[in-house]
Amino acid sequence: MNNPYLPYPVRIADIVVDSPDKSLRTFKFEFLDPEDENRFAYLPGQFAELSVPGQGEIPIGIASSPTEKGYVLFTVNRVGQVSSFLHNMKPGDIMGIRGPLGHPYPVDTLKGKNIVIIASGFAVTTLRATVVWLLHPDNRSNYGRITFVYGARSPGHLLFREDWEAWQKRDDIDVFVAIYKPVDGWTGKVGFVPAVLQEICPPAENTAAIICGPPIAIKTTQPVLFEAGYKPENIIMSLENRMKCGLGICGRCNVGPEYVCKDGPVFTLAQLNELPPEY
Amino acid sequence: MPEYLVKENALADFFRELTQDRRLLTPQGQGENCRLEETDPSKVSLEYTNTHKSPKECFFPQTEKLLAFSKEADKPHPNEYRDLGDKAVATVIFGLRPCDARGLCVADKVFQNDRFTDPYWKGKYEKTLKIGLACLNPSPQCFCAAMGGSPFGEAGLDVLAYPRDKGLGLKTLTEAGEALIKTTKAEPGDLKSEIADLEKKAIEAQGPIDHFVAINERKIMELYKAPHWPTTAEPCLGCGVCTFFCPTCHCFDIQDEANERGGIRMRNWDTCMSALFTQHGSGHNPRPSKTERIRQRFMHKLKYIPIKQDGVRGCTGCGRCVVMCPANIDIRSVAALMAQTQAS
Repeated sequence: MNNPYLPYPVRIADIVVDSPDKSLRTFKFEFLDPEDENRFAYLPGQFAELSVPGQGEIPIGIASSPTEKGYVLFTVNRVGQVSSFLHNMKPGDIMGIRGPLGHPYPVDTLKGKNIVIIASGFAVTTLRATVVWLLHPDNRSNYGRITFVYGARSPGHLLFREDWEAWQKRDDIDVFVAIYKPVDGWTGKVGFVPAVLQEICPPAENTAAIICGPPIAIKTTQPVLFEAGYKPENIIMSLENRMKCGLGICGRCNVGPEYVCKDGPVFTLAQLNELPPEY
Repeated sequence: MPEYLVKENALADFFRELTQDRRLLTPQGQGENCRLEETDPSKVSLEYTNTHKSPKECFFPQTEKLLAFSKEADKPHPNEYRDLGDKAVATVIFGLRPCDARGLCVADKVFQNDRFTDPYWKGKYEKTLKIGLACLNPSPQCFCAAMGGSPFGEAGLDVLAYPRDKGLGLKTLTEAGEALIKTTKAEPGDLKSEIADLEKKAIEAQGPIDHFVAINERKIMELYKAPHWPTTAEPCLGCGVCTFFCPTCHCFDIQDEANERGGIRMRNWDTCMSALFTQHGSGHNPRPSKTERIRQRFMHKLKYIPIKQDGVRGCTGCGRCVVMCPANIDIRSVAALMAQTQAS
């Protein structure tokens, strides 16, 4: 029987330091057994447990898109035992990844709609995956207008610069990247994400918003969307809670009757409005 | 499914026949020493109230090894986890109380949920036949009927037995249970009306019953915002004994234990009464005080599990948490408060 606790063995192919304080690193993993890449079939918005032998596991959103073959990407913030150990590992080291876990963003039901994607801080990871997936030639024609709003503390804290700089040059996506405080040499937008969104918010008609970020950013972004006429069922969010199993069994990540790992992490605001705010 | 009789002088043979190709676990000992143990077929006792701990540990041990890995570079597959497998052996448990069998059913729907199957639970659960022993005289701690169960409840069992003239009456409930009883010399008999009669008396012995039905009618957020939670939580010490003794509590932690040569990944029972249970790496805690944690425990048992399991509650009325709580928190009193919650 398939054992959902057993990680696929992977090799660290590359590590990129993503922020000036070195608290963020993006890991590129390759599966030791190429067949495992097929077994690890995922969609944007799902996550996986990164499994470091002797240290433990951490649930991290998948930053790559399944349209990118041969590797998977995860950006890890250094906060605890596993993430600190992982930050000191080297390319070539062997570890495990277990997943994919959770539900993806509802890319199927969003077909035919405009999508506005709103990212704050390093929560951009699964949204980066979503944009890459949406812009892929197999998928782009299934969706209307796509808008990408992204803010971070400083230019150094903006992840995936190569990606969004390339998107800025395209005419099938509107890209707005901002930093919170002005800095010499920065010619882009300045301000918190809600303020930037208020300026450029696309009309709510036939449009869904996907928000990911720290709780304060999510909280302050919602009123802007309400004002623009967005309904709670068209505001899609991804939650985080402490997790162990990722399978809806170990019990700690629940928000009311829903397990963030198994039933989420993607919820609409309409769903969350009926649930305790325990996240 | 039919009924059978086992006479007093045939009991030892009956238990021997049950265990031809499987081990037999039955409750042994009294009071706090009463536990499920591998039993000689001639030493099965019908004289016990219930096991001190719930039977969940037969399928979900307090500590369980899941995976292992080696760190030695000269050995094959260093730093790759491997499955330690499940060493389940064919078992028959005799003497599960109906409340506990029902608890196993609730836990089973978590360990084998709509998306994932826990192989360690499943291996043991599916290799075990379960014979319940109905309760003719419920103990003072019992309230199965209030929670929708019965002293003669059938959920989770392959066979329901009850003491009858120093022998046993049996009702088979599944095909596996019927096949098992067919391998013994138990005699067929019509016990339907006798069972109905005994069940009625055993339920009446639990006294006037409040089913707390209003809890089912209230919305999650109505119950969540009820004003009684801080006072309900006030006496709680956060010790978690309620969760460890509960037949439906299924929470666990996963930890790696390793030295320089290798190690194992294991799981250990955990408890939602602990602040660390939900604390994020950032320090943020969605259930920061015992008010949120107590509310989580009772909402989980009485509201969240019924939503996910077709109305079946996560409390089976076994009464262990009521007996064990050092602060005398009684789920019946909490359920009564929840049932008084006003609609908004």
